[in-house]
Amino acid sequence: MSTNTLTVVDREGQQHAVQWEPEQSLMEALRDHDLPVLASCGGTASCATCHVFLDGDIVTSLGERNEDEAELLVDAEGFREDCSRLSCQVAFEDRLDGMTVTLAPEE
Amino acid sequence: MTEKTTDPIVIVGSGHAGVAVAAGLRTGGWDGRIVLIDAQHGMPYERPPLSKELLTPGSGDKTALLRKEDYYQARGMERITGHTVESIDPAARAVVLAGGSRLPFHRLVLAIGSRARELPVPGAQLDGVLALRTYQDGLAIQRALVPGAKVVIIGAGFIGMEVAAAAVKNGCSVTVLEFQDRVMKRVTSAPVSAFFEGLHRDRGVNLEFGAAVTELQGEGRVERVVTSDGRHFEADVVVAGIGVLPNQELAEAAGAACRDGVLVDEHCRTNIPGIYAAGDVTRFTSPFSGASQRLESIQNANAQAEALVSDILGSQPRTAEVPWFWTVQHGVRLQTAGVMHPDDEVIVRGDPDTGKFSVVYLREGRLAAVDTVGGLADFRPAKKLIPAGRLLDPALVADPAVKLEDTATGEHSRSDARQTAAALA
Repeated sequence: MSTNTLTVVDREGQQHAVQWEPEQSLMEALRDHDLPVLASCGGTASCATCHVFLDGDIVTSLGERNEDEAELLVDAEGFREDCSRLSCQVAFEDRLDGMTVTLAPEE
Repeated sequence: MTEKTTDPIVIVGSGHAGVAVAAGLRTGGWDGRIVLIDAQHGMPYERPPLSKELLTPGSGDKTALLRKEDYYQARGMERITGHTVESIDPAARAVVLAGGSRLPFHRLVLAIGSRARELPVPGAQLDGVLALRTYQDGLAIQRALVPGAKVVIIGAGFIGMEVAAAAVKNGCSVTVLEFQDRVMKRVTSAPVSAFFEGLHRDRGVNLEFGAAVTELQGEGRVERVVTSDGRHFEADVVVAGIGVLPNQELAEAAGAACRDGVLVDEHCRTNIPGIYAAGDVTRFTSPFSGASQRLESIQNANAQAEALVSDILGSQPRTAEVPWFWTVQHGVRLQTAGVMHPDDEVIVRGDPDTGKFSVVYLREGRLAAVDTVGGLADFRPAKKLIPAGRLLDPALVADPAVKLEDTATGEHSRSDARQTAAALA
């Protein structure tokens, strides 16, 4: 597996090229790039500070959110059923290379 | 930054708070030197997994890092590892490292955390008596949790109960000795304790309450634990989880005001100009309740890191975040927003027998804290309602069909809540 490159759109609309390494969750890639995802819980679906929007087709292909993630997201700022995910719950896959990730608004 | 300096911002400690300070300084625009000092060797790592993932059967010795390996160097952060700071010279604005070398600082951040309280009984130094603070401690416990091992855990707090859960999963025979009459008494109410006690007993954990440990016995290695009523508990390994002590000595010796923690203001300033503290080592006044507190949590480490970075860089601080905590035992999560007090009114939402419920803590009719078990639906609404200080209708709160945010009735009145907290403190 090689590294994926992502386009990340921050809350000001700025674009960043972010390297996503195998074995990292999406949140870890964003955090290691100093993007403002607080990730207070270290990626255990406790806090919703790593809420992102992904392309709807990708969200569908990732499958169901687990119960904790679903309950946190429902109340999250700017929640969108079709494209909201907690990035700590998105595991590395080769096929996600090149995808665009948009940071959700802060609480 | 208007000040020009060639001296670094020195951060003592590379746990959650220390690393968050370093990261925040860089993202906030500090382009001067940053020196992170770590008493341990290796890369800075996450603490929560040490009592959870690291102890699950077959987990190996890898654990989650706070940042990837090349993160620090890529941002020009200097790391000094395997070194402790011997003393601080506040007048000269320098720290003295073990070995005598001096390092001047522009600002100093003490993020030196806490250490496990030692068992104050004979035999506490025997081999096989362990505590859990560091990655090395976690590995030592992991290696001790072999199938069939007799594990005695002293203290039924978060750490003790997480280790108990991991130990039975590894096929150990597990006894928890707790001086109080229920688990996690310091941080939660009887309904939550009862639920988790049931969970542990169902999995085969033996819980002993009112058990005061008087001695550990063994020939060089621990073999049994003795309690004040004369009972003996056979042990191949003992894990003590009886709380922590803040590592305040370094700060205290330099003249920082301390009282079971380094005292800091809302900007994480100590009483010594230029010296800050963050994380487990600090004691401060809660902006929500007015109580003096030490919070041992990731949330607090991150929030304090952010507050002091704002102060150093002169940027706008964020509004204070309600403290929150979590533990996972036997796959069930307890997540808490706010800090409960034993005198709070306790209202259970939902049926604990379903494995999913909340407990709401009201103080003078206002939301003080919420425990969520097996689900997070009430967690985020609680984080918003606690600082709002609005009155909640207890009858509505008790009805799980009513959303927590729809239970508010009264007017916002923070000052009353503060007076109550001061009276409770």
